[in-house]
Amino acid sequence: MCIKVQNVTKRYGDINALDGLSLEIKKGRIFGLLGVNGAGKSTLLSVLNGLTAIDEGKVEVFGLDLEKEIREIRSISSIVPQNLAFYEKLTVRENLDFFSDIQQASEAHYKKAIEINDLSKLLEQEASTLSGGQKRRLNMAIGLLNDPQIIYFDEPTVGIDPKSRNDILDSIKAYKDLGITVVYTSHYMNEIEKICDDVAVIAKGKLIEQGTLAEILQSRSETLEKHFLALTSEAQDV
Amino acid sequence: MFSALVKKEFLLVLRDRQALMALFIMPAVFILIMSVAMRDIFSQESICFDTAIVDADRSGISKTLAENMAADQSFRFVDRDEAEFIVYIPKGYGDENRLEGPKIEIQVKGSAKSDVIELFKAKLLKEVVDLKLGIITERLSEFSDEAAAAVASVKLSTGALFDLRYNEKKKVPNATQQSVPTWIVFGMFFIIIPMSTIYINERKQHTLARLNSMNVSASLIALSKVVPYLFIAQIQVWVMIAVGMFIVPLFDTPALEINGSISGLVFLSFALSVAAVGLSSLIAVIADSTEQATTVGGISNILLGSIGGVMVPKFFMPESMQTLANISPMSWGLDGFLDIFLKGGDFFTIVNESLMLLLFGAVLLIVSMLVLDRRLSRGF
Repeated sequence: MCIKVQNVTKRYGDINALDGLSLEIKKGRIFGLLGVNGAGKSTLLSVLNGLTAIDEGKVEVFGLDLEKEIREIRSISSIVPQNLAFYEKLTVRENLDFFSDIQQASEAHYKKAIEINDLSKLLEQEASTLSGGQKRRLNMAIGLLNDPQIIYFDEPTVGIDPKSRNDILDSIKAYKDLGITVVYTSHYMNEIEKICDDVAVIAKGKLIEQGTLAEILQSRSETLEKHFLALTSEAQDV
Repeated sequence: MFSALVKKEFLLVLRDRQALMALFIMPAVFILIMSVAMRDIFSQESICFDTAIVDADRSGISKTLAENMAADQSFRFVDRDEAEFIVYIPKGYGDENRLEGPKIEIQVKGSAKSDVIELFKAKLLKEVVDLKLGIITERLSEFSDEAAAAVASVKLSTGALFDLRYNEKKKVPNATQQSVPTWIVFGMFFIIIPMSTIYINERKQHTLARLNSMNVSASLIALSKVVPYLFIAQIQVWVMIAVGMFIVPLFDTPALEINGSISGLVFLSFALSVAAVGLSSLIAVIADSTEQATTVGGISNILLGSIGGVMVPKFFMPESMQTLANISPMSWGLDGFLDIFLKGGDFFTIVNESLMLLLFGAVLLIVSMLVLDRRLSRGF
């Protein structure tokens, strides 16, 4: 098992962003995390990266305790935020150099990040002049620099055209082929169906359902989108 | 890791043209404009009045008065339409049979200030009294050489009547000596613009959270931002000094002179930049948007500047305001620069001001690190 989340609660004032959440993520697979806005997906990603402290529960990443071994966990994991978390005024190369230096990435991983994300022809271009899809690819490439064993994608295809979206999904599948465990959050069910092996649905900080994509689709004999809408509306009504 | 953070910050700020304009062009232009504009207000040289004489009398006495005024450097004779003061000597003024003749009329340009008018009247009075004493001497000599000699010995020039001595080295700066430190201090606190722009963009785009997830601590992020701005602030100081020394004199205005210790100047500049960076850093991490940061930063700069003697020099302020000025770090910096530029202060003269600036900056930097750490703990 790659990640174990056990009875995790995170409160912001009176609101439980995560409410006794437990789930498991298997190594080497693409794990789809589904939930409406405010369900707790981003909070969970922040917790898994040690950015946000939990109030209760326990988290293990590759057998490492999140509370005690956060530096080690961070060194083997990486996050690609929904926002374009790089510097628009720097060139693509300057951005990659910077994040590479920060993580003391090797030359081989630097080249691999450029190759997988098809950035070699854009290296001298200022990031602000890239198209939406190219910016997303740069955002993803930065996440690959430290040769992570697990990588978290927070809705990486928001606001881009279908062609760029397909390119990004292909890149993410290539990450899995490298042996990296991928945790992927998205609102687009067709993306989840296209690339994910396992799926978990969360609502109001609680786990609603978890299983392989095939199991979930077989059990309900309906599309994932209809199933997701049914599950989340039930959770909202509770 | 730290050097990569510093290099990134340098690249970002050097590519921010508007920020560079605010940091370098704005204070340089202010120094130039204010030095030239305030040249006469701060001038320690004798005042000179643009004067025209209309001599309706055309007597020997009126001509002597005109000649005496021409010999006095306080009066510069110009055409009537350019004159600030027109001295009209009426017909019969020099009538030798009467000591009390018709009055001289002084026509004053409407824009002349009352203190300048009083000064002009005093200067003209001296010329008139000198002239009348001459007439009295001449008449007395017909009766008593001794009495005439006594009157003739009366000298009305201030040089003959008073000795003017300064108790310490001359304290009032010239326009350039006042402008350069003022705009160095004020300009340095405008570091808030590039610093907050970069900080807030990084936070909004979650770049700081991403860095944090790469094991870069909030304190390292905050410290890495200090280095480039300290460096830029030092360049700012020396560029402004160069403007004062080499550009301002091209506009017929006194050049800046550094009369005191260079090592003191370097230490003071460093301490002032720590204070400016500390304040900017705190505002940048507290503000939620660049608009908020630049508004709060701008207002705080103007308030600290107006209290601290940037807008109005402290020596023009009443004593209570001068005491209040001491709460502003801009005042500490300004006093230090004036000590060095004007009073020839050595390193130890500016140690107190510098230590206060360092302490102010260090405290605000530590607070900004704590605030940043708290903000980053909110995650994505």
